[in-house]
Amino acid sequence: MAPAPYLVFDGVAKYFGDLEVVAPFFNLTIKRNEFVVFLGPSGSGKTTLMRMVGGLETPSVGEIRLDGLPIGAPDRERGMVFQSYSSFPWLTVSENVAYGMKYRHDMTPERKKKRLDHYLELVGLTDFADFYPNKVSGGMRQRIAIARTLAAGSEVLLMDEPFGALDAQRREGLQLELRRIHRQDAKTIIFVTHDVDEAVFLADRIVVFSKRPARMLEDVDISAELGPDRTIALRDSEQFFKLRTRILRMVRAATGEEEKV
Amino acid sequence: MPGGTLHGAPPPGAINSQQSRLRDHRVTIIKATVSAAPHAPAANAASTPRPLRRNPPRNQFFAFRGTLSKRAQILTAIGSTLFVLAVWELSTRLGLINATFLPPPSVTLETLWNMILHKNLLMHAGISTLRIWVAFALAVIMAVPIGIAMSSFRGVGAALEPIVDFIRYLPVPALVPLSIIWFGVGETTKIFLLWLGTFFQLVLLVADDMRRVPQEYVEISYTVGARPRQMLTDVAFRAMLPSLFDNLRITLGWCWTYLIIAEIVAADTGLGFVIWAARRYMNTSEVMAGVVAIGLIGLVTDQILRLVHKRLFRYL
Repeated sequence: MAPAPYLVFDGVAKYFGDLEVVAPFFNLTIKRNEFVVFLGPSGSGKTTLMRMVGGLETPSVGEIRLDGLPIGAPDRERGMVFQSYSSFPWLTVSENVAYGMKYRHDMTPERKKKRLDHYLELVGLTDFADFYPNKVSGGMRQRIAIARTLAAGSEVLLMDEPFGALDAQRREGLQLELRRIHRQDAKTIIFVTHDVDEAVFLADRIVVFSKRPARMLEDVDISAELGPDRTIALRDSEQFFKLRTRILRMVRAATGEEEKV
Repeated sequence: MPGGTLHGAPPPGAINSQQSRLRDHRVTIIKATVSAAPHAPAANAASTPRPLRRNPPRNQFFAFRGTLSKRAQILTAIGSTLFVLAVWELSTRLGLINATFLPPPSVTLETLWNMILHKNLLMHAGISTLRIWVAFALAVIMAVPIGIAMSSFRGVGAALEPIVDFIRYLPVPALVPLSIIWFGVGETTKIFLLWLGTFFQLVLLVADDMRRVPQEYVEISYTVGARPRQMLTDVAFRAMLPSLFDNLRITLGWCWTYLIIAEIVAADTGLGFVIWAARRYMNTSEVMAGVVAIGLIGLVTDQILRLVHKRLFRYL
């Protein structure tokens, strides 16, 4: 039996005034614990689609359902990780992670403490717990954000180019870590990026978008080809390279670069 | 040659010439494609005896955003202050300026000291400071919530912005007659005028501080389950605190500039009164002493507030 649909985009479209951001009608079904990457040119409206899942925007047309229920105002079920301003500068690393649980009254302080320690450990920030974010690297700041959303108990992680501002080495390290966290602490992840390499490495599934207004061009099952385990070695494999080239062609077609080359 | 310099350790001191040779090598490649190869050795030979340093280091004193040690900065500050005082002192001593109109710093300081001893200057300064702080506190207590509400809720912003913007441009002195009619000549008028000068400016500054809180912070807060009120107090207000503090520090300074206006309205106390009374007798050294007293209070307050800012916002 096929797994039940978890996150469903049902005939969605989005306009900002006269500007068409998401073309009618966008349909997509995401399974529980799936790692889906939204790939497409910058400013294509893929971020807007993701923000609608977060409840930070509402669809102009159609509906988004999570576990059968329409999405309303933002809450901790769906956590966000942004590219910048992803942690609060006035809180220490551990206070930032703990902020994820600040409004949870269903947990005792002891349980919160345990979870805090657990997630600091999971993202490798235990040694930096008492540092302020301005004293740690950009990569660590993104890990703070990931740990915060996990600690909050978010079932869906919405990541908006979270590694966009990092250098190549840190990026690779965090990608590996994110895959590991995803396997260890099963969550549904929507990850927005315009980096093909990152998309192929991270995704179970890649949705390729057109230029604005966003339209789904391709829906590629990456796990079917690369499997669930992602290692650095995989990155250098021919299989990875071929898949990456294939996706890159799709993206070029989406932006109209193909004709120019 | 180029292959040889790339492999193995270069001799000490050779790095610079090696770099230039590498660069020249690139040049020769470009040249080689244009003309024949034999030009290459000539180009290399010409570039070997380059000076070790291409440009002399910039003068940090006048370099844009240059680095200057704390010590040098303090010495410069003291130096420039002493220079101004010296020019001032000399120009009256040499008779370039009539001391009746501009008493030299030595006389001003002496007068200041005498006024402290015999004319209750400290009491006047204390009263002025008290008035400033009462008016300023009133302005802050009212401006902070109103400013926050203006930028947080579009309705409040739309309703208040035209009024605030209008009053903000009214010159405080123009409202002196009205405030006397409304409040008489007592303390209320003085506090009102000082409040008037700061409140409307502050409202807009506070609104701006709130507007500059990154949207990401707000959204993070909502997506971990904060209610709007919790988001406002736990995140948005907290995020704007450093810039709010800075703006309070600056507007407190503005408050002092309205002091004279407030205290010439039938006052018999305060630094403004002292200055205004001395003016009536052409006692310029007392006028200067009063002005200097205000300047000193301002300088000290500002430095204290800067220090507090540093302490409070260590994470910046």
